[in-house]
Amino acid sequence: MSKAEILEEPEVEKNDGSEFPTPHLGRSVRIVGQHVNVDMNESPHPKNARGELGKPLFNWYRNTVSKDALTRVSAPNHFADRRQFLTNVINRSTSGKINPRRGAVDDPAAMTRHIKTVALYMGADVVGIAKAHPSYLYASGGGRYVQDGTAKDEYQNYTPEELARKFPYIIQATTAWDYNKLQAHRHHIGDAAYHVSQIKGVMVLKALEGYIKELGYTALRGVVTPQAAGVAGGIGELGRNGLVINKNFGARVHMPDPIMTDLPLLADEPVDIGVEDFCKICRKCANTCPTNSIPFGDKVVHNGIEKYKINWLTCYKLRPYVHDHWGSCLTCAAVCPFTKPNVWWHTMTVSLLHACPYFARPSLVRFLKWIDDRYWGMVRNNRVRWLGYDSGVKPGDQACTVAGCNASHEGKGQAVVGDAGYYAPLKENTNRFVKRDA
Amino acid sequence: MAITFPWSKRNSHRDDPYWNFFINTPPADLGNTVTEMIRKAPEGNIFPAKTELHTPEITTSHVKGMAEYFGAALTGIARLDVNDGTNPEGLPFAVVCAVRAEYDPRKSPGIGGQVPVQNGLFVTFVLSAWIRELGFRATAAPQPGDEKLAAQARLGTLNSEGRLVTPQFGVNVYVANAIRTDLPLAPDG
Repeated sequence: MSKAEILEEPEVEKNDGSEFPTPHLGRSVRIVGQHVNVDMNESPHPKNARGELGKPLFNWYRNTVSKDALTRVSAPNHFADRRQFLTNVINRSTSGKINPRRGAVDDPAAMTRHIKTVALYMGADVVGIAKAHPSYLYASGGGRYVQDGTAKDEYQNYTPEELARKFPYIIQATTAWDYNKLQAHRHHIGDAAYHVSQIKGVMVLKALEGYIKELGYTALRGVVTPQAAGVAGGIGELGRNGLVINKNFGARVHMPDPIMTDLPLLADEPVDIGVEDFCKICRKCANTCPTNSIPFGDKVVHNGIEKYKINWLTCYKLRPYVHDHWGSCLTCAAVCPFTKPNVWWHTMTVSLLHACPYFARPSLVRFLKWIDDRYWGMVRNNRVRWLGYDSGVKPGDQACTVAGCNASHEGKGQAVVGDAGYYAPLKENTNRFVKRDA
Repeated sequence: MAITFPWSKRNSHRDDPYWNFFINTPPADLGNTVTEMIRKAPEGNIFPAKTELHTPEITTSHVKGMAEYFGAALTGIARLDVNDGTNPEGLPFAVVCAVRAEYDPRKSPGIGGQVPVQNGLFVTFVLSAWIRELGFRATAAPQPGDEKLAAQARLGTLNSEGRLVTPQFGVNVYVANAIRTDLPLAPDG
């Protein structure tokens, strides 16, 4: 679509169902019925911020300071001083104005290549562009959802249809977190991997938003549900664990708040990397989830969308109880067989799965799962040492295991012996206090 | 069309009609740049409880490892003159971080040309906030002479223009604001 076509687009056009046909989201998610756009105020964090999930969760969210210095500068809400948290600095800054000297885009394909190159140049690991559809958007009138910040603009009261008409593209650029540090999930090392790449992603997307405005086009934030943009933009497929699974990084990619724009681009298509076939058989995440929040059964239709539906409330309720020891669980991301280092044998295996005809995929998946169980085990409990952190030290205990350190650390506990990282048997313990649905 | 081999350097952006705008056109509104947002941000408080440290050598390796994790290509520690007039707080050390820079940010005012500055600000913001959270003073406020400190910390030598030349990347580095701190460290020079 050229610039001229965009400008000459008729303003008033009623949606009779043919304007926005049901989008194809790949094999992992299907829109099968009437979808009601979700009010962002009904999503977990805003609900919790209003105290609707009970006192322990409210206090965990609003009134706790992490014991770990790096978590205090990189994780949302557990800082000692808000000013040290970069996401807060960036998302609360006043946004710049759109450049009145709009550059003409004659070739949307060249602009698409450019925007993707720019996102990667700024530090993103994956970029995808989705064609906007009203069902990807939050409900109108509910406001914008930007964590630790605000995003107010003149389009606040537009309906999802009006927004999708005016801003036909959604850019999702994201960062992946470090594989080796993720092996020490349920530990501050895993938190470091997750949270530092998250603040980096926030910075990259804000820079990209600013750049689109400098090109003379609008860039809206807090409008689109991130995972819908990720799946529609070909970043990955939606897995049983409710995470978007990417071909290079598996489940270890963030799904940040995407950019909705009127910049003329070409949209990507959803991908098929065999997540659908794998999740049907694997169930590793469901088996290892400490709170049983991931379903063992088949997909369900929720709000008109057929997908695996996780129980976000039980996942969320664990958090205040483990706050003293770590921030983010990440078990489902760490155990996912797709989550591997981004190296040739991983690329080769995913390509094989992609090329395999559908009827033969179950056998291939069973074989790959057998290899995965054999070499990587059911749950990751490698011992990871990183900058004085050691996953061999039990959460809550303190012990210096840095080689050659002769500083006095009196009255500190002992590290576990051997090459095993600490793995809390949470699954058994949480049965005592996590109320389960059915 | 240029011939490219798999081992050629990554694309030179010659076929990208918007690349020159990205690198060289200064932004019409600085509010659109992340660099401006981070520069204007005030520094936070020092965490009231000091973290128990290892030996200065190990702390230094942890600070360098953390800087590398945040995206610094080179990190060094320079000793500061505590009696110097330019150092009124008497902070004894400077952590100097350098990031890769394909284009010289001083000659490329576009948002793309300023990406090394952005990456440098990311490193210094998070690293100095982390040191403050450890319970020590640290400031990443801009001061002149960061490249001299980088040379002092043995990241490289200065050329006749006063730019840092490093053995690893030549002049293709940008020295971020030095973090002046009283965290006990082992200086490189």
